[in-house]
Amino acid sequence: MGRLGFIKDYLRYGVVTEKYPYEPVPTPETFRGKPVIDSSKCLGCGACVNACPANALSIEDDLRGGIRWVRLFIGRCIYCGRCADACPVGAIELSREFELSALESKDLIQEVGLRMVKCVICGKPFTTYRLVREVMRELSPDERVLTLVCPECRAKLTAVNTSFARW
Amino acid sequence: MQHSWVTNGCRELVDLLSRYGSVEEVGNAYLVKVRAEDLPEVANELQWGLGGYYSTSVGADFRPIDGTYKLYHIFSVPQCSRYVVTQASLPPSLPKAPSITPVIPGANWGEREVRDMVGIEFEGHPEPKRLVLPHNWPEGIHPLRKDFPYDRKLIIEGVDDEVEHVDELARKYQVVPIGPYHPALHEPEYFELYVDGEVVVEARYKGFMVHRGIEKVAESRMTLNQVPFIAERICGICGFTHSCCYCQAVESALRIEVPERAKYVRTILLEIERIHSHLLWMGVALHVLGFDTGFMAYWRIREPVMRLAEELTGNRKTYGANVVGGVRWDIREDHVEKALRILRRVREECVALTEKVLKIKEVVSRMKGVGYLSREDARRICVVGPTARASGLDIDVRRDHPYAAYGELDFRVPVRDEGDVLARFLVRYEEVLESVSIVEQALQNLPKTPLINEDYEVVPLRIGVGATEAPRGEDVHLVVTGLGNKVYRWRPRAPSYNNIPATLYMLKGAYLADAPIIIASIDPCFSCTDHCLVIDVRSGSSRFVSFRELVRGGYRG
Amino acid sequence: MGRGDGLYRKSLWVFHMNTGGCNGCDIEVINVLTPWQDVERFGIKLVGSPRHADAILFTGPVTNEVLPRAVRAFMAVPEPKVVVAIGSCACGGGIWHDSYSVLGGIDRFYDYLRKRYGIEPPPTVYVPGCPPRPEAIIYGICLLRGLVKGKQRREVYVEGEVDLSSLKDLLPPDWVVRTDLMRRWVRWFT
Repeated sequence: MGRLGFIKDYLRYGVVTEKYPYEPVPTPETFRGKPVIDSSKCLGCGACVNACPANALSIEDDLRGGIRWVRLFIGRCIYCGRCADACPVGAIELSREFELSALESKDLIQEVGLRMVKCVICGKPFTTYRLVREVMRELSPDERVLTLVCPECRAKLTAVNTSFARW
Repeated sequence: MQHSWVTNGCRELVDLLSRYGSVEEVGNAYLVKVRAEDLPEVANELQWGLGGYYSTSVGADFRPIDGTYKLYHIFSVPQCSRYVVTQASLPPSLPKAPSITPVIPGANWGEREVRDMVGIEFEGHPEPKRLVLPHNWPEGIHPLRKDFPYDRKLIIEGVDDEVEHVDELARKYQVVPIGPYHPALHEPEYFELYVDGEVVVEARYKGFMVHRGIEKVAESRMTLNQVPFIAERICGICGFTHSCCYCQAVESALRIEVPERAKYVRTILLEIERIHSHLLWMGVALHVLGFDTGFMAYWRIREPVMRLAEELTGNRKTYGANVVGGVRWDIREDHVEKALRILRRVREECVALTEKVLKIKEVVSRMKGVGYLSREDARRICVVGPTARASGLDIDVRRDHPYAAYGELDFRVPVRDEGDVLARFLVRYEEVLESVSIVEQALQNLPKTPLINEDYEVVPLRIGVGATEAPRGEDVHLVVTGLGNKVYRWRPRAPSYNNIPATLYMLKGAYLADAPIIIASIDPCFSCTDHCLVIDVRSGSSRFVSFRELVRGGYRG
Repeated sequence: MGRGDGLYRKSLWVFHMNTGGCNGCDIEVINVLTPWQDVERFGIKLVGSPRHADAILFTGPVTNEVLPRAVRAFMAVPEPKVVVAIGSCACGGGIWHDSYSVLGGIDRFYDYLRKRYGIEPPPTVYVPGCPPRPEAIIYGICLLRGLVKGKQRREVYVEGEVDLSSLKDLLPPDWVVRTDLMRRWVRWFT
């Protein structure tokens, strides 16, 4: 009979219900959970901001205080992992956390504030110290001073140099 | 190595198309530039003369490029393994084209959507009404035109729903509104049934409540490689199919050769998606029939498949595995063993359970002979997928236009000709078994090649057509690559788009108590269908019928 | 939100409201009712009418079309009510948060209710994920019931004070002179 067969099945399979949350449930190694920014490694370069399809990562520059805020809002995050792929120093990685509930939307934010370098010519903050340090390592000592100049002033410098050369 | 999309195109097809305009081969499709006046004739030849199948219509605003609007109609010609895309250019001063709906009734929705989104008028269309925009959306504003910014929020306030329902019918018959919020179906949609006693006389559908503006966001803000992620979130069940289809369209447009291992990985994940989707549907169909035990049993079998997907890709549903040119995740050796074990168990349990379910007389009698769709009607409305295969149409994109690794794998396409709900149930059940076999073959023969081919150049304004067999039917995407690293026009056409109009045919003359199972039998995925703006619906406040009551048959009018 | 209140100590009857998402979260909600997770252990039942419900399971980014219906269903749920916002679309608007057709998640929905109808938002639990695992949804509901402690808190890190002298080890010894020269050149020419 059709129906009695079901009862036999259930006696065979037993109870499959898991006792979560009273017992933990494991996640596989490849699980894509909450992204976490390692605040000691982040450079403030913004590669992750460009890569994020959902605009969960954003950068805001506080020019008066001289701090670049890298903000991660996991409420809008789609857990795709593009930020982790894009980061040049591996500062952001997807952990295996999935218990992310909160009672307030602002609890879903992680912010990292990095100090900004002031341009040696005009005095405006334009990038972070960590990024400047990272870039300087790639350049010869003579060229390194140029990294302390903001893009607008650098353009002016180039104009000065070329007009000098022509002269 | 021979390119995967070059198969034996038909001499006859090319000759036919050359009569109307220049023919160009773009990947797996022929692009033919026709004049707008010839469109009904070309459509007639392709659908009825040659025995092809109409897929969809796409409108695009090319005014910034060459000052015209372009209208595309896509047809599938299985006997030549090719798609045919007819392109007609329309001047912006007079964007009109003759409608092909009198020739092919299934083109009804496609043309109405083009009218709403781009503003092209169709002469001779039998129902030139709004499909996708709300009834009080301002005239003349067409969201997919290039001068409409994607983030300009137009919140339609105080919409108190005057839906045009058929007044004389509403006076004669009792109106039963189903939706938009009801407990069993998980998406907002609205069916309006006019009943005479217990028999449904007429049915109207107002849907498109899940329009999120995906096409516009993808054209404006996203890069070429970010679009697979938004494509995956078009639908909550067949997401990976949409992202594969998009990637295939771009790969076809840019002539990118996808490595073999990536093709096999895509095939494996696509079939896993099909297995869990069909098991989900079978459970939900039984729930809608009132047999909750079967519902819980099918979902018990389905859960290990979801966990397998989570282990392979990192998420139960949004696999995030596709990029243009390949896949991001690999399938490890130890995963292969585990996957084979789980799938073997799924097959055993599914066979055992389905045999039991089919022995229960009440379940079978509620499905047999219900919701009949004849072969001719199926062909005219252009339904796809298991709905079509259960009505005798032998079409399957995996076999007709081989993509990913399907060309190298061995599988059968189940076709039945009873055309009722039971036939659809059996077609899906047989497809589950075939899918398990496909995954087993693919897992045991994974080739060892790299996973991504990043060696390509993004050439602007190239057209590509991608097609896959989603669990619900044929999924077609048209992509026109854009300037920079972006997409100029992307049109995902989900299978439910073609299948939902069929419910209105099937509901006529059916009993009211059968209406839920008829609607559920085409496996509607309203979020796949509605990526464009949507319509208003009457609230049905005092006459709200709970779906549970409908299912239990306790509705008193 | 009084977690000791009578409402949250006993079983909750929920009404599932999909405001236009992809349904991934909705399928996970249905998954939560099936044997492997079985949320009926906590006494939670899915009801058909908003008027019978204690809690709303809110998914989707609130599309244009669904907005009046969502408002009506929301207001039909009697007080005191609680809202569980499930998924990235509900918590923050999702991947299409800035589209023309989408309001932008439950926070924008509350702004709309406050502005148009003067209704204050009810207590809300946010369950992020795309889609969240069924276990994550259960965790969210247990957070509401007071059965688990919330782990997710706002984290702010600020780097310590730094100035140019920290880069001394990388800069050439005459860098002060050089920067001075650059400054003068630019000032002279502009």
